[in-house]
Amino acid sequence: MREAKNSLGVIFFPAFDWCISPTHPEREERLLYTQDQLKEEGLFDIEGIVEHKPGVATREDVERAHFCFPEVEAVATRSHMVAAGGTKTAADLVMTGRAQKAFALVRPPGHHAMKVVHGSRGFCNINIEAIMIEHLREHYGKKRIAIVDTDCHHGDGSQDIYWHDPDVLFISLHQDGRTLYPGTGFPQECGGPKALGRTINIPLPPGTGDEGYMMAMQRVVMPILKDFKPEVIINSAGQDNHFTDPITNMNLTAQGYAHLTDLLQADIAVLEGGYSIQGALPYVNLGICLSMAGLDYSGVREPGFDAVKHGQRPQIGEYLAKLCDALPEIYFNPPKLEHMASGGKIEGDWFVRHKDIYYDTDGISEAQTESLYLCDSCRGLLKIVSRTTKNPDCLGVEIPLGACPACRERGLALYEEAQAKGAYRYTQLINRVDRQYLRHGF
Amino acid sequence: MFLGIDVGGTHTDAVALDESGVAAQVKVRTNHQDLLASVNEALEGILATIPAQNITQLNLSTTLSTNAIVQGKLEDVGLLVVPGPGISADEFMLCRDYHVLTGSIDHRGSEIERLNMDQARAAIAACRKKGVRVFGCVGKFSTRNPLHENSLRQLLGPDGGEIADAVTLGHELGGRLNFPRRLATAYFNCAVWRVFGAFADAVEKSLARLGLSHVRVNTLKADGGTFPLAQARKMPVQSIFSGPAASVMGIIALCDINLDSIILDIGGTTTDIAVFVDGQPLVEHDGIHIGSHPTLVRALKVRSIGIGGDSAISVLGEAVRVGPNRLGPSQADCVDPGCACAAGARPTLLDALNCTGHASHGNVDASRQAVAEFAHCHSISPEVLAQSAVEAACEAIFAATRELLGEINDKPVYTIHELLEGRRVVPKRVYVMGGPALAMKEPLRQRFELFTVVPEHSGVANAIGAALTRNTASLELFADTEKGVMFIPALRHRENVPRTYNVKDAERDALNHLLAHLSEMGVFADRDNAQVNNASSFNMVSDGVTTGRNIRVKCQIKPGVAFTLTGGGR
Repeated sequence: MREAKNSLGVIFFPAFDWCISPTHPEREERLLYTQDQLKEEGLFDIEGIVEHKPGVATREDVERAHFCFPEVEAVATRSHMVAAGGTKTAADLVMTGRAQKAFALVRPPGHHAMKVVHGSRGFCNINIEAIMIEHLREHYGKKRIAIVDTDCHHGDGSQDIYWHDPDVLFISLHQDGRTLYPGTGFPQECGGPKALGRTINIPLPPGTGDEGYMMAMQRVVMPILKDFKPEVIINSAGQDNHFTDPITNMNLTAQGYAHLTDLLQADIAVLEGGYSIQGALPYVNLGICLSMAGLDYSGVREPGFDAVKHGQRPQIGEYLAKLCDALPEIYFNPPKLEHMASGGKIEGDWFVRHKDIYYDTDGISEAQTESLYLCDSCRGLLKIVSRTTKNPDCLGVEIPLGACPACRERGLALYEEAQAKGAYRYTQLINRVDRQYLRHGF
Repeated sequence: MFLGIDVGGTHTDAVALDESGVAAQVKVRTNHQDLLASVNEALEGILATIPAQNITQLNLSTTLSTNAIVQGKLEDVGLLVVPGPGISADEFMLCRDYHVLTGSIDHRGSEIERLNMDQARAAIAACRKKGVRVFGCVGKFSTRNPLHENSLRQLLGPDGGEIADAVTLGHELGGRLNFPRRLATAYFNCAVWRVFGAFADAVEKSLARLGLSHVRVNTLKADGGTFPLAQARKMPVQSIFSGPAASVMGIIALCDINLDSIILDIGGTTTDIAVFVDGQPLVEHDGIHIGSHPTLVRALKVRSIGIGGDSAISVLGEAVRVGPNRLGPSQADCVDPGCACAAGARPTLLDALNCTGHASHGNVDASRQAVAEFAHCHSISPEVLAQSAVEAACEAIFAATRELLGEINDKPVYTIHELLEGRRVVPKRVYVMGGPALAMKEPLRQRFELFTVVPEHSGVANAIGAALTRNTASLELFADTEKGVMFIPALRHRENVPRTYNVKDAERDALNHLLAHLSEMGVFADRDNAQVNNASSFNMVSDGVTTGRNIRVKCQIKPGVAFTLTGGGR
């Protein structure tokens, strides 16, 4: 009777026995009403929509994407490993053809987790999208991947991880950083020297509604995606841009979200934030599922929507129109490195930038120096020195996928030398060429 | 003495038994045009040896509702549907008199939009005009708040009144969430209500005629339990597909099962596969499908595949296959002794078993001859053909079992604890029953590499199961301490609870209400058989402050038998 146009695998894992703290937004209750709604609608009785159990990520899955100090087990709890495992399951479903599309409806989220992890920032410990992308590359040989982050907060973690990666296009639509955590995500943040224009930030003013989101999608996101031609499109589907969300100020509706999903046609969606657990999540998640499956979503309507109260002010439309004129330029004609406002300078053969990072959930301050070897034949060796209020000097060395023999040698030498000198408390090596993940300093 | 009758697709089996064993058994052909005649014939057969006054209870497993649905003998139903927003209710148009009404309730049970009473009155009037006399009223989230369904009930008036003979309300079908399933279940319940009622009347009349009016009559359900006939008249849909459950319960009565086990019921056309965990049969997560419609009718988890004693053998290239086609009975059964079988007669699994020496059923010579001729046509030796056919059948059963186990072990779970420490089902034993059970025992043992048992009386295990199956019932309780309400949809019980109400209180209330409900129906239920399947409590937080608890409890009388006949197996 009813059949999904696109087969859809839903990895639903509400982690009913895990919370950050009993009254924290990231608590047991978060996906309870979503589950109720999906069950009551009979979603999983629709031919082609199947519910799956998540896998569990391994230490190696995490170490492919992150430097975790002192080690993976210290920063990621079992729930994080399950959420990351859920995204891997989503990738496996799509890659093996068992489903055309997949939605990892898992918690806790991950898009604020950066390359280096000392603890939790913005409710995130490990970056579940990055773990999935590195899984896609490792096991399915996928190279060009696009992430469209529609969470209301800037996906600064995903941006950081793929800052130097020209093969991952990262586009974030979020509430303007001047008005919301984490305070970043401006257009001039557009990627490292090897990946200029491969990070695109679209800061939306508070009060942006369905029309504003659609304008940004149609005029910025879609043309760029069309040109980039990714092999896989991933949607970081945070739902805190809903008009009922308690910690943000946007006016997106469940209908708007389903439209956006329909337009984007992501292969895999991953739940990120979204804390209006009664008024938004049940309806937005239903809308996303129906939209991804190619089914009619026009009947999805949340209670409490008021077209007048939640409409978008005309000034916002005017502002966005100007923004949408300017933003595609960043991708099509990226600024020259020397004109870039956002940090970093060339020191010899290295591109060096300093970062100060605050882990709001765990209260850790980090000072970081990131150096990229400017190699002519590959993406370049990455070296990160980090010191925090929790851990003394730590060193991370990454020999990236497709590194040239010279960079591989250089990386191995750097790691060996660091241990010989003993200048760092913890050292970690990510060697993607030889699939070697080493830790030292325990 | 307990009496069990299983009206099956081919045969109607009846047994009379007590703790000391089976006292009488009867097998008659099922007359699908007149099921009552089959029941009467079976009853009379039993009464030929057992005095009527010795019989205290009759458990009846019937295909009546199933047949009515398959044959399309369904009454017109007026469906009054209150879907609210979400997936369009037009998708579920089950019948002609299908009326979608305005109104909506949300997942917490808050009324978002009032029921449009004028629209409802107009819908009822339209149904009356068409002569519709049975109604189903179903709302989305009515198991959280039955307000709209109850309002419709009031508009329809009492049963047997001016407007309606019978009304099914969605929330009475149980507390589980799934609006499309609730809708389909309510529809089928209404559609077979009258035909089931007439059958129940006729059975009661027959019993009176045969001097059995003192007997307690229960009807089997697909979930491995029974319910009193009076209850079945209200919820006839629950009596659907009870056949496989009767067989599974038979195994429980005949064997002491306490390990994870596989149950294989090998019939003429199909093999039913069931799984026991810790000695208890697994119940289907959601509910059975009626036609293409998923429903809320609880059932034991049983997988059927098209392999049985009468399944035809075929050769495709090098591969020998068995089933899923059934081309009439085996040569062993249909050829008279001393006669030759017809030219080109197709051998079946049973014939192959006769050749390999696993069986010596009926006309063994005819089996040999048919297998030899068929083997000759495909230029293979008869021994190889027979051997390969038996192996292929075992392989197909094994593969289907493994797939079923895979599904069971991959069932989604929602807590980290269950995901990481959840128990995997690993069967230790295989129990085989049905006609070819003894013959298939050894080949199956070799394929499964597990201890394999064929219980005694395995040929009438279904009727034994029917006779001994206990009453079961289940219910869901939902409490919201912020709203201060507790609600048990299946019992239509709603009461106010204090803010201190917690999950322990809810578990206690759920069990008490379940047992009280059974005793109201005149059924004795042992408190030890009542169990809480699932209990959860979520703190509801708003603006950083805990505002209440959202509590859900599921409990049941677990399926079981009145007593066991463990005379040992072979």
